Amino acid sequence: MGTISLNLDNVSKSFASADTNNITHALSDITLRVKDGEFLSIVGPSGCGKSTILRLVAGLIVPTTGSLTLNGEAIREPDPKRGMVFQKPTLFPWLTVEQNVAFSLRMLKKEENGAVDRLIQMIGLSEFRHAYPHQLSGGMAQRVALIRTMINEPDVFLLDEPLGALDAFTRMNMQDELINMWNEKKQIVMMVTHDVDEAIYMGTRILVMAPRPGRVVDDIPIEMDYPRNRTSRQFLTYRKKIMEMLDFGRAE
Amino acid sequence: MSNQTGIDLEGAKEKAGASSLDGLTRQRLLELESAPRTKAQIITDYVICIMPFIVGIAAELEYYFVPNYGSNQITKVYPVFLGILMAAIAVFLGIGLYHKAVFTKLREKAPFYTLIFVLLIAYDLLTLKSNTLVSPYFPYVDQILNAFFTDSAYLIESVRCSLILLFTGYAWGAGLGLITGIACGYNKKFNYWLSPFLKLLGAIPSVTWIPITLVLMKTLFQASTFVIALGVWFAMTIACITGIQNIEKANFEAARTLGARGKQLIFHIAIPSIVPNIFQGLTQGMSTACMALITAEMIGSDAGLGWYITWQRSWAQYAKMYAAIVLLCIIFVSVNGILNAIKRRVLRWKEGDER
Repeated sequence: MGTISLNLDNVSKSFASADTNNITHALSDITLRVKDGEFLSIVGPSGCGKSTILRLVAGLIVPTTGSLTLNGEAIREPDPKRGMVFQKPTLFPWLTVEQNVAFSLRMLKKEENGAVDRLIQMIGLSEFRHAYPHQLSGGMAQRVALIRTMINEPDVFLLDEPLGALDAFTRMNMQDELINMWNEKKQIVMMVTHDVDEAIYMGTRILVMAPRPGRVVDDIPIEMDYPRNRTSRQFLTYRKKIMEMLDFGRAE
Repeated sequence: MSNQTGIDLEGAKEKAGASSLDGLTRQRLLELESAPRTKAQIITDYVICIMPFIVGIAAELEYYFVPNYGSNQITKVYPVFLGILMAAIAVFLGIGLYHKAVFTKLREKAPFYTLIFVLLIAYDLLTLKSNTLVSPYFPYVDQILNAFFTDSAYLIESVRCSLILLFTGYAWGAGLGLITGIACGYNKKFNYWLSPFLKLLGAIPSVTWIPITLVLMKTLFQASTFVIALGVWFAMTIACITGIQNIEKANFEAARTLGARGKQLIFHIAIPSIVPNIFQGLTQGMSTACMALITAEMIGSDAGLGWYITWQRSWAQYAKMYAAIVLLCIIFVSVNGILNAIKRRVLRWKEGDER
């Protein structure tokens, strides 16, 4: 595995609203170094710019100031190297499961070498390969969205609350599934979540953020082996620490 | 690896859920879930299914045994026509005796078929038998049916001309509407220059332009085509603009992170997204096209069913005129039926269309 390095240098992002002259400072002066094998969980109250970081790394938006680079190359626009999974599955409703998964290969004019079948089998949806998205449950659809991005074997996997809309059981299954996927390829994963437990359960490192302006208040490495025990003393210590930090962020 | 089995388990569960009631059809399921029918209800079902025949035979008897008004002459065409209708329903019933689903369908349709025969009897009594609806303005059904045969050469030619005109205009309008609609939805400059004209044209029915197009265009055919195309173009453009404005932005973002660029975004995201709107435009365009077709043919054409209708009216050949009107109805209904069938096929992926 070659080395992957994602760098954010003094990145700020502000938004101007269309009608009034209000400027919102979504992110202020973020500097971040992430390398392969890291699973970065990002937590924080809403409005702290968690999703903005992902969208910047994805290249869907450009920074107001500062720079982002992946392996030394500046990030300017979306690239399949930086795959993103959204909170909603955003499957293309007019394509079947199979066609959705193959979408990226078609766009990039890459050859299909059995990866579509393999991935669909991996998530246990072989029987649904010809189904349309509206025939899938939320969990199934999100799994399809995941492998649709995975098919490009991205260096950076951006997950914007991908499990937020799922029920507790599906969610726990998917958490393990994601950890497995990352264990296999050891790429960079950046995952935004509202759920502190999820952040600790999955991440090698947790970024705690605060709003107005969006900024990083702490960067906590999680030193626990996988699979992690959600009720171990160590887990709960991390949990307490982060919860207190988030309370502090809200009180401000 | 423990999680991997977790997924398999879930997959297996889904499979079991689907196969535990093996071979269950929709019909069987409805039967299982509905309350058992009483004898009386079952008998009523059969009586209702047979009703069309009873009333159909009544229509035959009425035609032959009620004395005609004045010197009204009758032929065998109408009774044969009634016979064909009844034979078709008989085939329907015959299949229904072996297939429950077909029978249910017939049970649902039978009251309406009965009504058709009732209306035929009523109309026959009002025209042929009593002249309450005055001849020659209201020819009886037998006369109209005979007109199909006596004037079949003209009618076939007229249908051919009308269809050619309809589809030429429709194709031009739909094609151009698709292009301008997508251009306007996508490009602000295009929208700036075009939308004022759209607003202006949208307020006026396209047939208003017939007198002008008659002067401007070289042939009557071109003038009529233009008027039909204009209405379709307008409906199509508006539908496409609305469609593009309502595209899920998230779909574009997902596509971009998956490597789609420039034209790919248009052809693989924008256009598929607006296919439902395109069909809405096509359906709406078809109804304006049909209207424009008849108006254009009646006012400014020398061929087609619209022209045939005015021509026969001027000769007081009302039976032939009605025959042409019936043909128009058949054409418009079948064109819309075909359009809807295509729509259902293409929009299979849409929620709710499947179940």
